[in-house]
Amino acid sequence: MSFLTPLFLLGLAALAIPVLVHLTQRERKSVVAFPSLMFLKKIPYESVQKRRIRDWLLLALRLAALALIVSAFARPFLRGSDVAAAVGGARDIVVLLDRSYSMGYGDSWSRAQRAAAESIASATPADRISLVLFADHAEVALRSTPDRSRAVAEINAASPGPGSTKYGPALKLAGSLLAESMLPRKEVIVVSDFQRSGWQPDDTLRLPGGTAITTAVVEGASGPSLALTPATLLRTRDAGQPERVTITAGVLNRTAAAATGIPVQLEMNGRIVQTIAVNVEGSGSAAVTFAPVSIAATTTRATVRLGTDTPTGAAVQTGIAPVASSIDALARDNVFNFVITPSAPVPVTVVTQGNRGDANLYLMRALEIGQAPRFETSLQSIEALAGDAANRARLLILNDIAVPDETAAKLVTFVEGGGGLLIATGPRASWPAAREAWLPAVMAAPVDRTRGAAAKLSGMDYGHAVFEPFRAPRSGDFSTARFYSYRELRAAKDATVLARFDTGEPALVEKTIGLGRVVMFASTIDLSWNDLALKPVFLPFVHQLGRHLSGFREQPAFLTIGEVLDITAAEIAAGATSTAAVRSDSTRTVLAPSGKRRDLTVNSASSASSVALELLEQGFYEIRVAGRAPGPVIVAAANVNLAESNLDRMDPKELVAGVTGSGATGSTGVQDVLPDEAQELAQRVWWYLLFAGILLLIAETVLAQRLSRATR
Amino acid sequence: MAVHSPIPGARFVDPAVLARIGNLEMVARTVVDGLINGTHRSPFFGASVDFAAHRGYVAGDDIRRVDWRVYARTDKYYIKEFEADSNANFSVLLDVSKSMSFGEKISKLDYGKTLAACLTYLANQQRDRVGLVTFDEHIVDHVPPSAKHMNVVLHTLDRARAEKPGHLVAPLKRLVEHFGRRGIIVVISDFYAEPEEIFDAVGLLRFRGNDVVLFHVLDPQEVDFSFVEPSSFEDLESGDQIPIVPAALADQYRSLVAAHIEALTTRASQQQIDYMLLNTSQPLDYALFRFLSMRDRMARTR
Repeated sequence: MSFLTPLFLLGLAALAIPVLVHLTQRERKSVVAFPSLMFLKKIPYESVQKRRIRDWLLLALRLAALALIVSAFARPFLRGSDVAAAVGGARDIVVLLDRSYSMGYGDSWSRAQRAAAESIASATPADRISLVLFADHAEVALRSTPDRSRAVAEINAASPGPGSTKYGPALKLAGSLLAESMLPRKEVIVVSDFQRSGWQPDDTLRLPGGTAITTAVVEGASGPSLALTPATLLRTRDAGQPERVTITAGVLNRTAAAATGIPVQLEMNGRIVQTIAVNVEGSGSAAVTFAPVSIAATTTRATVRLGTDTPTGAAVQTGIAPVASSIDALARDNVFNFVITPSAPVPVTVVTQGNRGDANLYLMRALEIGQAPRFETSLQSIEALAGDAANRARLLILNDIAVPDETAAKLVTFVEGGGGLLIATGPRASWPAAREAWLPAVMAAPVDRTRGAAAKLSGMDYGHAVFEPFRAPRSGDFSTARFYSYRELRAAKDATVLARFDTGEPALVEKTIGLGRVVMFASTIDLSWNDLALKPVFLPFVHQLGRHLSGFREQPAFLTIGEVLDITAAEIAAGATSTAAVRSDSTRTVLAPSGKRRDLTVNSASSASSVALELLEQGFYEIRVAGRAPGPVIVAAANVNLAESNLDRMDPKELVAGVTGSGATGSTGVQDVLPDEAQELAQRVWWYLLFAGILLLIAETVLAQRLSRATR
Repeated sequence: MAVHSPIPGARFVDPAVLARIGNLEMVARTVVDGLINGTHRSPFFGASVDFAAHRGYVAGDDIRRVDWRVYARTDKYYIKEFEADSNANFSVLLDVSKSMSFGEKISKLDYGKTLAACLTYLANQQRDRVGLVTFDEHIVDHVPPSAKHMNVVLHTLDRARAEKPGHLVAPLKRLVEHFGRRGIIVVISDFYAEPEEIFDAVGLLRFRGNDVVLFHVLDPQEVDFSFVEPSSFEDLESGDQIPIVPAALADQYRSLVAAHIEALTTRASQQQIDYMLLNTSQPLDYALFRFLSMRDRMARTR
């Protein structure tokens, strides 16, 4: 017997009240009018105040009633096991077995398997057993079977994966499994090492009513625990030299004991390039910087590895961690994979007309300065554009160009296939009237602002990707640029005006057409109609426009397991000229680190603008377009979540309380949490106490009335 | 209506019944006439033409009152004095303090009012001038003695209410100057004051030659203190409250009250003041009878 709210027991101090009432208040309750207290006051005070308790039975009733009511408010409850035994019936048991990579620490996994098997040892043939293996994701390995031996076999067949612990999805899956159950008793058994990093309290996470949770804490062997932190890549390019990269890795010591002479080796495409020994203080970290290496023309698979336990064969190529390590008991976090790709430039074609090539001087210079991405600019005459030249570019810039109808048709195809088009309108700019509806805006007559105040840019859409970097104060002032002339643009209904002149007329209009984008600028990108090219914002503005229109997205050198790889963006970054080219064949073959091969088919009719792949294994993924292989080969490195290597444990009560909404009780190893009905039954004592208290109060009232009548 | 009488042949009326009559004159007549008829004699004050004594003539005496027969025999002037040579002033001083409102069946005030009405009626029947003073801590109503004031007295009595706290000494001291002519003064009160204070005030009246009669009216509960339930006792006048366990102090209380009555009796005797304790549970006419009997005995011994 214990109490949920023992503080209410302080209310027992109120027991003094009836005693005081019997001693004092009883006399005060009736007032007798008396002519004079002259004689009564002469009687010594002590004799007046001297009181004694007369109605012992009444007092006892009152004390007992009060004590019962106070006890009821303190919410007494019975300890679990007795009540649990009282709740009978067949059980639906869901075993949640943690298979995150931290379970591979020492002999944790075998212990976990034993704990899981033991947890269902008491299952009767009437009980149903489900097995859910979980890490980042939860999957049902076995669904509602009465066959206990089968469940044990599934448990024994499972192995820890590269994922990190997340209890939320597993508990949700268990909840949905139990919600379908028709059995009277529901039970969830969580077998895990209960890492703190795996638990995020979630108010919406609740198991069905009446579900009991049993937690089995698996404690692995103690010993050193080292982990590699994500490597940083510093690229340098000297004139006339190939691009070089300096790799810096970090080593994290999770234990208090210092680790000395730990070899850290860098492998590139399966070959050990460098090995450096490092000392790491207890609960500290150390950085390892390898000598710069030249970047090859193709993608390089690089691995930083703790220790010298180099796996052989395909494991080297795929970056899979060895099963065991001489460094510590947890091998998965001793390997860090990443890819080094040569930075591919974004091909940009600036279209010229006649002999006005110098008109694009500022634009060309600005584009050439770009580093991330690097723009590979080329000049092309409008006439040449009518051929196949457009397909080699990802971005076309038309600065004050009169576009003939044939070229316009080419441009339409280019944009709809995923290319970007920037049209700057000047005095000569024109567009075939028949295709005007395709443009974001219709070009009207030039507006002359050479007299009076020149026009300024205002009303930028800072939420848009082009202007987003200029959102913060002092991040670029467009209002300093003077526009002496501009073309009046009548924006189409489905177009977005990104910037306006101070007169309210559109200055920059964007429209998404097919898979590409078209942006129209109301003035020229030179000094003929404005001085924007002389302003500091010109360079970042042009770069942002180039990035946005070319659809460039910087690709990370590595990803974490559970993250999603945007294959389309990776292909663009790898140098695909236009997304249309990549999409022409919509089937890709994915080669997982484990060697599994599968085809990734994209429905071309789908409106999705990119193809994605979720990374589930540690190592290198290889994605290539199946068939004619016109696109680049994409290599992506997947690493385990570093947070999982932190073996700090949480109190399982916290998890139980988070799911059940109440505290849990039980031993440290295995805890029993009663289902709601049983808990309610265990706590129902208060109800009886309150009822008894009320009965006593009624009896007290009757008795008091009788006594009162008798004394009258 | 009649209650058992300790006096053979007399029938007394329950004061509670009298209190219900309401008309004081009728009550007084009922009580007094019944009393006189029952006893067949009027023991009060004697006849007004009864000879009392002779005294020597002094300058200023009315020569009409010289007893010429004695002069003829003795050749000296003597004045013939009678027991009551004129109608006396009969005043009732009724305590109407809040404490007088106490009473279970009949309040002390109602008892006192009835008593006052009876006495006034009796006196008026003997052609005495009747007056009334009601007082609490101040003088509330003052009806000067007059042969024609019977109705005024009864009316004033009827109006009297016990509403304010009382103080015996101050009003009595103030009244002394109003009683320039000697007379009979009846004080009806519960005398909740120290005997010394009471007799300091009453003594002033007595010393002015008045014939003072004290009626000490008490409720049976004031005398017996028959309360059982422990309660808070509230002083009717001051509002003070004391938690009391009656069983624990009833004896002490009764002895204190007895001592108080004893002290009053003793002091009254010493100052030749008539004192009579009246219990409101006793029939009024019985009380009157006892009192008149006592007066009669005292008159004979005087």
